[in-house]
Parts: sequence; C-alpha cells; structure tokens
Amino acid sequence: MQRPRPNKLHDELDALLDGRPVELTDELAPLAEAADSLRAELATYQLAPGVAERHLERVLEGSGRVVQLPVRRPAGGWEVRRRVAAVALAAALVLAPATIASAAALPGQAMYPFKLAIEQLRIASVQWSSTREAGERTRVADARLSELKRLVDLQMFNQIGPAVTALAEAYRAAKDAVDDAKQDGAAGAEVAELNGKLASVQNQAISTVVMVSSSIQAAKLPSGSTRNAIEAAVHDAQTVLPPPAPPADATPTPTTANSPATSPPTDPSTSPTSPQNTAPASPASTAPPPTSAPTTEPPTTVPPTTESPPTSEPTTPGSAGQVGDSGGLAGADERTSAEAKDVPPTTSPPAP
Amino acid sequence: MLGFGGEREAVSKVGLSAADLVAARLREPAAVTRIYTAYAPALFRFFMASVGDRHLAEDLTGNTFVSAIEGLPRFRGPVEALGGWLFQIARHDLYDHRRKQSRTRIESLDENLAEATRSDATVDPEELAIDRLEGSRVLGAMRELSPDQREVLLLRMAGGMTAPEVASVLGKTTGAVKALQHRGLASLARVLGLRSPDETPQRPYPSPDPDRLTSQEDEER
Repeated sequence: MQRPRPNKLHDELDALLDGRPVELTDELAPLAEAADSLRAELATYQLAPGVAERHLERVLEGSGRVVQLPVRRPAGGWEVRRRVAAVALAAALVLAPATIASAAALPGQAMYPFKLAIEQLRIASVQWSSTREAGERTRVADARLSELKRLVDLQMFNQIGPAVTALAEAYRAAKDAVDDAKQDGAAGAEVAELNGKLASVQNQAISTVVMVSSSIQAAKLPSGSTRNAIEAAVHDAQTVLPPPAPPADATPTPTTANSPATSPPTDPSTSPTSPQNTAPASPASTAPPPTSAPTTEPPTTVPPTTESPPTSEPTTPGSAGQVGDSGGLAGADERTSAEAKDVPPTTSPPAP
Repeated sequence: MLGFGGEREAVSKVGLSAADLVAARLREPAAVTRIYTAYAPALFRFFMASVGDRHLAEDLTGNTFVSAIEGLPRFRGPVEALGGWLFQIARHDLYDHRRKQSRTRIESLDENLAEATRSDATVDPEELAIDRLEGSRVLGAMRELSPDQREVLLLRMAGGMTAPEVASVLGKTTGAVKALQHRGLASLARVLGLRSPDETPQRPYPSPDPDRLTSQEDEER
C-alpha cells in the first residue's frame, strides 16, 4: 500500500490537531490517540482559584514587581526555605482580607471582577465532570440571587437591572448544566440533589424578580434610565424565570379554604413570611395556591403569558408592603439613585 | 479556553477585544481579569508539564502574567497575537528559571552532593522536572522526546496554539513545527505502546544521542 508523502501527513495531522475534519487513516490513528492522551493528561492540571486570586492581586494592587523565585544559595537550603515561608505567611496575612472582600463583593464594587474571575476558574476546574460543573453553576446562580437581594436591600437601584439580567443568565446556564449532567448519566442521587438545589434557586429567583417587578410600581423611583433598565431586565428575565401562573381554570373561591392544607411544599430555604406568598414555588409544573390572589385578581383574567408586563402583577399598596419586609424597593421614599451609590458596602474592600 | 464577554465582538479566539488590550494597559481590573482568565490556565498547564512542580508552576505563571501586564504598553501587535507574546514571555521565564537552577547547582557544592545521593547523577533540570512527573504515564513518556519536540507539543496542546502561532513563538517555519509535532507524537505513540506506523527500522527509538534527533529536525527548517 502506498504511504502518503510526509508533508501531506504533516498537514493532515496538523488539521486533526486543529479539530478540522480529516479522514482518520491508519497512519494518523495512533498519532491522534497519543495526542488525545496528552491532552487529557494536561487537562488535569488546573489552576487553583486561590492562586488565581493571588496573581490578580499582585497585578492590580500595583505591588506587582516580579518576585524572584526562591533560589538556593550557598548559605543553605533551610535558611532560604525559612525566608520563603516567612514571605508566604506575610503575603497570606496581607491578601486574606482582600480574598474575603471579593467573596462578598457586589456589582459595581472594585472587587467584583475578581469574584467573577474566581467563579470562572472554579467552573473551569470542574469541567471534567458534568455533575460537578452543574453543581458549581448552580452555586453561581445562587450567588447572583444573593447579590440581587442584597442590592435590593441596599437600594442600589443603578445595579439592580444588570443584576436581574445576570441572575437570569446564571440560572439558564445552571439549568443547561444540570440537563447535561442528566444526559451524561449522572447517578440518581446526584441528579436529585442537583434538581433540589436548582429548584430552590429557581423558586427564590422567581420570587425575587416578581418582587422587583411589583415593587417598581410602588417605589417612588423617578422614571428615567434606571427605572427603564430595571423594567427591561425584569421583562427579559421573565422569559427564563416566568412569573407564577395564576390559577387558570380552577374556580377561584373554593380553593382558598383548603389552600393551606393543599399547598405544594415550599422551598425550605424560603421564609414563610417572605413575599413568596405572591410567588409560589414551581410555577411551571404546579399551579400555585391562590392564598390571597383570588381576592385581588380579576376573575376574567386572560390566561397569562410568560411575557406578562409588570402591571399585571398585584400592585396594591398591601402587596408592595409585603415585599418591603426585607427592605425592598417600596421603602425607597426619599433615596435617589445617586444616594444609593453612596451606600457603603458591608465590607470595605481595598481600592485596587 | 475561558473567556468573558459573550456579547461583545470577539476579536481573538479567546474572546478578547482590542478594547480589552487598551483597558488592560491602564490596569483596568475587569480587562486584566479577562486576560488572566483567558490565558492563565494554559500558561499553568505549560509550566506544570515543563517543571513538574505545582508550586513552581504557579509561581512561574504568576510571574509571567505580572511581567506581561507590566510590559503590555510595549506590546504593539493585534489582540490575536497576544497569546503568542505571552508564551514568548513564558518560555523566557522558563529558561531563566532553568538557568538559575543550573547555576545554583554549580555554586552550591553541598546541595549538589545531597542531590547526588538522592538521584544518580541526574543534573539536567529538565530531566529532573520530568522525573517528578513519574506518576503520569503520558508525561513520563514525554521524556523520550527531544526538547524541541516536547516544546512544540506543549505549546500546541497546553497552550492551545496553532502551528503558525507556535512557529512564530519559536522562530521556526510552520513546516518545521509540523514536522516536529509529527515526530513527537509518533514517538509518544510508540512509547505509550500505541501502534506507530511511522517508526522505521532505519531509525530506532529512543535515540541514544539527542543531538542526532536535533540534527534530523534541523533538516526540516
């Protein structure tokens, strides 16, 4: 059998390594297998998130002059190792507060990009396992949710719109990752755990988005770009996190009597006194219990769509008041967007 | 490869744009973080496979990145060339480290003697590094390759670079890089016990003389 010319073989191998379609001949097969083995081996080397944070600190803190690697000197290895240990300890003491600060950072704060970078690195470090990746992406979605709640508490209006968008994107990514894990044949217990966590995030996320949506109306937020941005973000997010469907064809009144007994299990992580009463769990699969909705909902409501505008939500002062029990937007009487910017963060990250 | 900015107009294959370069020159945290996230994992894999020591690889990655950000105002190429530029710095840092390691060995007789008792007269830093990777069958097999072949394969596989990009970093022709990667993978396949039809009786492997391999590859340049 005639063997291909070396240059042709080189080109074919190069195309194969680039991922271009190439016929896998007998000549190429072992080479491709060797390349795959090497790639798989290299993929196991992942940069630890803490290390990444330290490197970024070195650059952004301006102290980034290249630190010389410890070089063994004639004085003896023990002495050098002692010095290196002292430097490492000092560096750890200096960087630890920054690490903590970045973990609590909110959008708009100086340390927030670090936080996002660390999340990306954590995801990258577990991408060899679809189950672990799903768990990590669910954790990221939960982090976005916590940030949104905190922004609402602090009335940082100018950040709420982007935070709603980020929450929707993170939830979508987590959901896709969980689906991938299922398709990859993750164990039943793992899938159940992932589903549980994702459902918890979903329920709380829907409640929070609904709360933001309904609170916009009650808050004395001046109409302008900030308000428009929040409304647009909420509208977009509701395609991913749809608001709970009102009781569609069930008769409204009889269900109120037995609703406490037949209400679906709510998420354990949500407070029973939280505004979840207006945003029940599992909007897609189960009909929510109309605890107080039937008294406020018009009986001739058109079947809801996922793109229901914020005005279709309960906008009575009472409902807004419920929302405000954790310092929601309804409590924003006198604060302006500019004032909200000045709200000091709970932690004080060092300026980069 | 990681990258932020799914919405932005991605210019480089890792999702960085010219605006990221401009912002990173000004040490804008988000841009610096994007560049780090895009390239640091690949740099770390390159160093890890080269030195075989996690802490050392982490230090080298950090040093390379700090050097790169500090030198970024001098980088005038397009954003697509940033990866190659970073790996040029990485290679320089790696050689620098090995040079210092060798010099230290010569200076420190005590250390040399201690080393000699631990390992039987292995003094080449690169060989020592690969010895540390003994746990890995594949990277252990890499020791059978010539330094040029190893470097090409690591830049290609760990760095995620194309053959022309590797050629640019190494100062070789693309054809030479393709030949090196072919020979390197053929040797790797053979050492790993995979069938390698490329092996010929005229060229038994591993060669006892590394210089002989290098001279063969020079023919490809």
